[in-house]
Amino acid sequence: MDIVKFSIPEIIFGRGAMKYAGLCAKRLGAEKPMVVSDPGLREAGWVSRLFDVLAAEGLEWCYFEDVVSNPRDTQVGHGALFYAEQKADVIIALGGGSPMDAAKGIAIVVGNGGSIHDYEGANRIHRPLPPMVFLPSTAGSGSDISQFAIITDTRRRLKMTIVSRTLVPNISIIDPMLLVTKPHHLVLAAAVDALAHAVESYVSVIASPFTELQSLKAIEIIAAHLPRAAQESSLDVLESLSIASTAAGMAFSNASLGADHALAHSLGGMFDVLHGEVHSVLLPAVMRFNLEHAMAKLAHIGKILTGKKWKSARTAALAGIEAMESLFLSLGMKHRLRDLVPDRDQLPTVCRMAAQDACLLTNPRPATWEDLLAICEEAW
Amino acid sequence: MKTPPKLEDLIGIEYSKLGFFREAQEKIAQLHASTVELERRRQQIQAILDGITDVMAVITPEGRITSVNRVYYEVFGDSSPVGRACYRVFRKQEKPCRPCPADIAFRTNRLCRQEHIYTVGDVTRHFEITASPLRDSQGRPCHILLLKRDVTLEREYQAKLNHAEKMSTVGLLAAGVAHEINNPLTAILGFAQAIKKRLPEVRDRLPEDFGSDLEEYMGIILDECARCQEIVQGLLSFSRPHSGTMIAVDLNGCVRDTVRLIRHKLKEYPHIDLHQECAPDLPPIRATPSDIKQLLLNLLLNAVDAMADQRGRIVIRTGIRGAEHVVLEVRDTGCGIAPKDLGKIFDPFFTTKPVGRGTGMGLSMCYTIAQAHDASIEVESRQGEGSAFRVVFRKMT
Repeated sequence: MDIVKFSIPEIIFGRGAMKYAGLCAKRLGAEKPMVVSDPGLREAGWVSRLFDVLAAEGLEWCYFEDVVSNPRDTQVGHGALFYAEQKADVIIALGGGSPMDAAKGIAIVVGNGGSIHDYEGANRIHRPLPPMVFLPSTAGSGSDISQFAIITDTRRRLKMTIVSRTLVPNISIIDPMLLVTKPHHLVLAAAVDALAHAVESYVSVIASPFTELQSLKAIEIIAAHLPRAAQESSLDVLESLSIASTAAGMAFSNASLGADHALAHSLGGMFDVLHGEVHSVLLPAVMRFNLEHAMAKLAHIGKILTGKKWKSARTAALAGIEAMESLFLSLGMKHRLRDLVPDRDQLPTVCRMAAQDACLLTNPRPATWEDLLAICEEAW
Repeated sequence: MKTPPKLEDLIGIEYSKLGFFREAQEKIAQLHASTVELERRRQQIQAILDGITDVMAVITPEGRITSVNRVYYEVFGDSSPVGRACYRVFRKQEKPCRPCPADIAFRTNRLCRQEHIYTVGDVTRHFEITASPLRDSQGRPCHILLLKRDVTLEREYQAKLNHAEKMSTVGLLAAGVAHEINNPLTAILGFAQAIKKRLPEVRDRLPEDFGSDLEEYMGIILDECARCQEIVQGLLSFSRPHSGTMIAVDLNGCVRDTVRLIRHKLKEYPHIDLHQECAPDLPPIRATPSDIKQLLLNLLLNAVDAMADQRGRIVIRTGIRGAEHVVLEVRDTGCGIAPKDLGKIFDPFFTTKPVGRGTGMGLSMCYTIAQAHDASIEVESRQGEGSAFRVVFRKMT
């Protein structure tokens, strides 16, 4: 076995864990943290709840919510200026992948200067970042665990992947209560994202026993709870999905992802589609593409998803992919690419861009842009 | 184009979460170094400030003292003046002084120098005050630096020097007057002698009582003329510029001449008794006679002043000491010299006499003369009992 690495932030998990946000920030040296969130969470009352927690610790704060889904380079720039103006210290992100990735981008720029584009790629960050405390409000993105930040380059219309161990936040506070106010379809989309994380990290070429364990656990929990989540979003279900998402996050942060995420990033950059909605369309196709190169692992996934034993690995793997497709269908999720992308002629551009994505490196089967285009055509 | 990430980059074994530890270490080291450097500079500046011998204070435009130097405490005492108003601290006044050099410096943004006289403790001091504005980065005055130099002694010395110069001018005038008087005096003396000489020829033609009166009057005229001549000669010999030519001098002769000169002054002091104890067969010394007379005169005048209002005795003594030296001593039974002043009596302008009475130049002149003659001066004094000054000359070889 090759030498591997497994790194994750400090994790505080549990119902009501948000109450530790102020204490955690203070331990990291906060006097005036910058809170990054979005209007949805503010309207749901979570932002003011967080302010109460900070106030209870005697902290001041400043608030930034100029963040949209698929956070943009320009927003990162504004956030960094705001941070400097406010003389903030610790960065607290409250929200889904968008506020958390925006917070990472802001942290990079305030700690290292320049513009966020300077750090695109792997390990280009050479100076420390402000301490980061993340409170995920979706059970899916995994940004609160991972060493990745995805920021949209508005000029080139693509998603920049920034990889660095220093992007792993200092503390991740996972409070399933935050999911209660989440719109139902977003909870489901996030769970599918987490499932995609689990599957892709499991078959990744750099998966290790430490990540495989987390991947399988995440798949198992999602397979068991996602159908229930479609019916009723009880706190127990939400908590389970949170655990699965966190496990998947630990796996993909260390094992990286694959072709599905490479394409998802590319689509998100060009068409601003919701990240969680891409996987129900692309993941089964990608799994089929990878079949010959990850037969045993895909068979294992098939066994978990179907809950049955199969004669051959191939039948198990294929049965798993079919089970996944019918699950997505039963959840009412989009399952054709044409539902997401307005114009088929743009697919080559999307695939050329995806071929450059860092996630493709760990796909078990090497893929050219033409291979990716074939996947897209299959999913059209 | 940036190099695309590789698998190793994703695994990132060589990369970790970056911490501030090293930065903090470097910053701490830098801070430490700069603190040490700042402390060194502070001490350097403090040493410079402590080296300033004037009282130094920094005050706000409202006159509150913000800092002072070491000399302040020596002059104004030990309690800290920081935060108090300058006019209270320096002058014990209730309102600001008019004119105030600090105020002028602040308003004009220029240096202001003034002299002020006021009392510190029980002593009246004369201060030269320099107020200079300390400016902020925009060049506006924000504080005032006050330097107070105690010029009390300088001003006293200057006053005495002025007095001494006046006296020397008076001396020159007196010499001129003496010279002018000498000529008519010679004529009076000559004609008086002529009258006296011719008086016997006409004596029998005069009434008896008139003749004897005339003889007596002529005698008085001649005596008084002789006395006038003596005074004039004395004045002339003292005011004559020092020729510098050294000749063999009989010390006893000098004593006689000087005593003759001072005797008429002594008539104002009937309570003072003047004695001479001159050793016979005194060997000559190499000297300028007028200088020696001046030296002796100064010593005698000091002795007289020391007994201005008490009975006393002055003894002038000459004698031989060992094989080499000849001694001239002036001893009085006057007030004596305070021990603290003993070291300063030969300093120019040092005097304990009231202003106008002494110039402080007498003993200084004696010292200079003694030095020019390779002689030394010994002083022996007890306060309240009297003093003795001995000038020890070398015998002439």
